[in-house]
Amino acid sequence: MLVKNKINSFFRQSFLIICILFACFQSIANENTMKPLINDITKMYMSSMVFIFLNQPLINQKGGDKSSLFGERFLQNIQQTYFAKYNEKFPLEDHLAKRALLQAMVEVMNDNQALIYDDEIGFKGIIPATFAFQLSAKLATKGVGLKIKFTRTQGSIRNKLNSPDKWENSVMLKVIKKPQIYYDENGLLNGKPAIRQFTPLPMAPYCLACHGSPKNNPLNKNRKKSDWTSIDITGFEMENWTMADFGGGVSISIEKSVFR
Amino acid sequence: MVNFSKRTILVALLYFFSYAVTSQTIKVGVVDYPPHINFDEALDESSLIKYMNSVLLPLNHSFEYVKLPRVRATVELEEGRIDILMPIPVVKNTIMTLPLPIFHATPGLCFKKENFIPILSATHRFSDLMIGFPANSPLVLALEDSSANLIPLMGENAVNRGIELTQRGRFDAFYHPSPVQVYHRNTPKFKEVACSYFHGYSTPIYVAVANLKIYNLLNTAYQKALANQSYEYFFANRDN
Repeated sequence: MLVKNKINSFFRQSFLIICILFACFQSIANENTMKPLINDITKMYMSSMVFIFLNQPLINQKGGDKSSLFGERFLQNIQQTYFAKYNEKFPLEDHLAKRALLQAMVEVMNDNQALIYDDEIGFKGIIPATFAFQLSAKLATKGVGLKIKFTRTQGSIRNKLNSPDKWENSVMLKVIKKPQIYYDENGLLNGKPAIRQFTPLPMAPYCLACHGSPKNNPLNKNRKKSDWTSIDITGFEMENWTMADFGGGVSISIEKSVFR
Repeated sequence: MVNFSKRTILVALLYFFSYAVTSQTIKVGVVDYPPHINFDEALDESSLIKYMNSVLLPLNHSFEYVKLPRVRATVELEEGRIDILMPIPVVKNTIMTLPLPIFHATPGLCFKKENFIPILSATHRFSDLMIGFPANSPLVLALEDSSANLIPLMGENAVNRGIELTQRGRFDAFYHPSPVQVYHRNTPKFKEVACSYFHGYSTPIYVAVANLKIYNLLNTAYQKALANQSYEYFFANRDN
């Protein structure tokens, strides 16, 4: 009887130790997967914005073959852009969040198909910032615990729906002083534990076409200075930013439950 | 001997009823919702029908699609004359739907092409525009808060009349709860209006079911189909 009890006790203790070890390994594994995942998603998202920027002539042109903007071919182009930008292979589609992001990209372009093929509309309004917002809005409907936002400091946002939340505001204050990627593995998304990352975007010359001063506005090209407009091609008043200004950034949040 | 007969009859009855259940015809009511379901083309050609066929086929039931006008469709469902109804925005608590939407509708504004505004977050551009809207349709906050002159249109056919009035220049723009219905590549209206969207304000569109039995049957099949591919992704890839 005594031997039997000892054996039982041994098994119980062993089981407990295994459980604790398993939980520890699980936690380390989560940490090891969380950061690379959020990095991959950030870079995939930014590659798609770059591709949209590079293809403004194709998007806005009359007629022609625009099939590279849709479906599988669109994704292949994002992959090539990613490789050109980061000089590394496109991440594997080994996580629900990555698959959701790629599918959302295809769906967003499909939503714009009628407009992209409408030869009577010149400027279609599908620019990196609006594409990024449409992507964010699309992802929000997927219920996969992934939120992406292209944002900037409060008071300088054109689309109110891109306004920063408290976490983003506080991070941007730090990022403006010291530009670097800010990672927080103890954040919250919709009140649930989440990992969050803010990646600052340096101001680029193409940003100034809309956000710079009238001299940067392509609509003023070949016009007398007295005829210059301070309204950009999207219909907004230009902000007079310069290359020295803060360019905003990409804020990505992933619910921790997604990693289980 | 008696026991054997009873058992045989019981087995035969069970077999008969199980056969009756598996061979039951599911009636799927559909309403016109281009480009997802388009009554102007053969029903089998519509993307949502193709997707739903892939959901229903593994169920080992026969099914039949019934075209219905929008208003009568919900009555048919509520009175049990159809088993499934799609696509439908949720308007009544009494209607049971699958928990996950089949797709999302994003509202927007339709313009005559020469007056097109591509980015609707530029709400300052609505100043002094005369924008019609269907009186029974809730507006998005961005439009409500703008300084546009908002003009309600009454009646069941308000959406179509509104688009026509926009084409004739009586409105500067018309608010449509789902402009993709009039602005897609296979519609004649595509030639005359262009629509842009209030992204970030989409509403879910569902598949409704008549009772719990159909709910359980269909939801299991839908979840399986979703794991493979969502309808929205299927639709986005339909031409590729």
